[in-house]
Amino acid sequence: MQRLTIAPRPNWKLKAHEYGFNFHTLLGEPYWREDAYYSFSLAQIENDIEAPTLELHQMCLHAVAQVVNNEQRLQQFCIPPAHWDLIADSWRRQDPSLYSRLDLAYTGQGPAKLLENNADTPTSLYETGFWQWLWLEDQLQAGLLPAGADQYNLLQEKLIERFRQLKSQFPDRLLHLSCCQDSSEDRGTVQYLADCALEAGVANEFVFIEDIGLSKRGTFTDLNNGEIRWLFKLYPWEFMLREAFAEHIYPSKTQWLEPPWKALVSNKAILPLLWQLFPNHPNLLPAYFENDPKAEFTGRYVKKPIFAREGANISIWQGDQPILASDGPYGAEGYIVQSYTPLPEFNGRHALVGSWLVNDEACGLSIREDSSAITQNLSAYLPHVITP
Amino acid sequence: MKRSQIINLNRMRKYSGVFALKPLALCMTVLFAGCESNEQQADIFKTLEECKTTYPDLSAQCEMAFNESLKKAEDTAPKYKTMDDCIIDFGPERCTPYKSADGNSWFMPAMAGFMLARALDDNRRYNTAPMFTSSINSSPYYNRWTTVDGNSYGDYRNRQVRTNTDVFRPQPRITKTIERGGFGSKASAASSWGSSTKSSSRSGWGG
Repeated sequence: MQRLTIAPRPNWKLKAHEYGFNFHTLLGEPYWREDAYYSFSLAQIENDIEAPTLELHQMCLHAVAQVVNNEQRLQQFCIPPAHWDLIADSWRRQDPSLYSRLDLAYTGQGPAKLLENNADTPTSLYETGFWQWLWLEDQLQAGLLPAGADQYNLLQEKLIERFRQLKSQFPDRLLHLSCCQDSSEDRGTVQYLADCALEAGVANEFVFIEDIGLSKRGTFTDLNNGEIRWLFKLYPWEFMLREAFAEHIYPSKTQWLEPPWKALVSNKAILPLLWQLFPNHPNLLPAYFENDPKAEFTGRYVKKPIFAREGANISIWQGDQPILASDGPYGAEGYIVQSYTPLPEFNGRHALVGSWLVNDEACGLSIREDSSAITQNLSAYLPHVITP
Repeated sequence: MKRSQIINLNRMRKYSGVFALKPLALCMTVLFAGCESNEQQADIFKTLEECKTTYPDLSAQCEMAFNESLKKAEDTAPKYKTMDDCIIDFGPERCTPYKSADGNSWFMPAMAGFMLARALDDNRRYNTAPMFTSSINSSPYYNRWTTVDGNSYGDYRNRQVRTNTDVFRPQPRITKTIERGGFGSKASAASSWGSSTKSSSRSGWGG
């Protein structure tokens, strides 16, 4: 694993406009950077990222099965009791899922360590599935990358394939896609999924989360009063289950992407549970609930809220001394603690690996770098290459 | 190879004006599945009888398509609170009261015809969609064939049209919304935190 510099494509901003990638620069800071890329060997990708990703995903599914019918666990996962049936039923029915991103600490050697599983609302999807792919093709053509350079990236292809499977499962169903207002990144992510769905022949419509309505029949509706029967929501389950329409979720009989059981996978409480179920697994870090007497670390450890987004409210500790902390609005539901493992540093930047799954298939990689040891939502995205 | 060999760039392109595109050249490369035409020939019949007369061999198909379209019209046509609202768009003789199974009363344009597109390889397979028209000359649908999503299919007197298969895509069932805004409050509460340091244009709810 290396960080190598490369000349950016001279026309990339025009191209970004052409393809509708309009969140590459944020607050004047580059979010997408192509003046450098990360390079991996094929063995690193296949042995250290892909294989553990598949295994970690199966371990997470195993963990979910331990939670759905266990009241004590559901409480630890901070699922409101009114929604236990929603989640248990969705698991029993095996409601289909779409995608996930595992965040891994990986230095290029030794086992990658699972930091968390973004299984409910992963973003940086477009940048990964399409935009870095296009970068690779362009740079290969320009001769700036070694011939035969590859990328670990079947993400878009697998998404389209997944939508095809879902279409055969629900042949005449219209898909609604939704995200919050005022986020160009989320809107771009959802537009990308709409494009992938359309490529697979899945007809779809868009509605903002805030615009969703409720009909007399108890179904959710779009702004044209059209019924929503199948909804992709780039909006966390832990929010939805605590909002005004929460009680209507179950009776509405909506088919959800991601399905309700994903609320358990994306939950930080799965980290201590995984450690309990698979102690000393090479791809796991020791993790405990905050109040667990076993939560004693000799070295540094990280405190994470049960629910949090984009690196908010995370703190790094040594004993009872905080070393670094990010602020944010989360933490009301409690915390888990996880042994600290440093992210590799390149050029003074900390690199975080995102490993992508579509349903059960591992199929792509993304890299984010941040000047802080806590990767947050303004960290930069860089493309990667598998060097021949 | 660990990456996709082909991505349909046409599907991904949002603005074609940036570069001088040569659509013809693009279509010649097999990569661009978006160049495939999904247009097809279709008939629009004002009545079931008209369909049966045109295709005597397919009278059963005519009947099924007609009934299917009627059902689609009830579920998916625009619904209005008052007759007057409907008349503004479609005209007095084109509007009809409608009561849905769940007891909602409203007004909707009556189906003025139905589109029938037969599969090229098999006469018995078809797609169908309800068609509407307006008798009000200030309406965009005046004397034109229109579908539930408001797309125009030309002069109301035409019987044969070229259509895009999008017209047959699933449409949402139209219902009455009694309340809105029940989702999204947690996001706005959380985003009010730190709004001075972060642009709302990026702090989304993904992660």
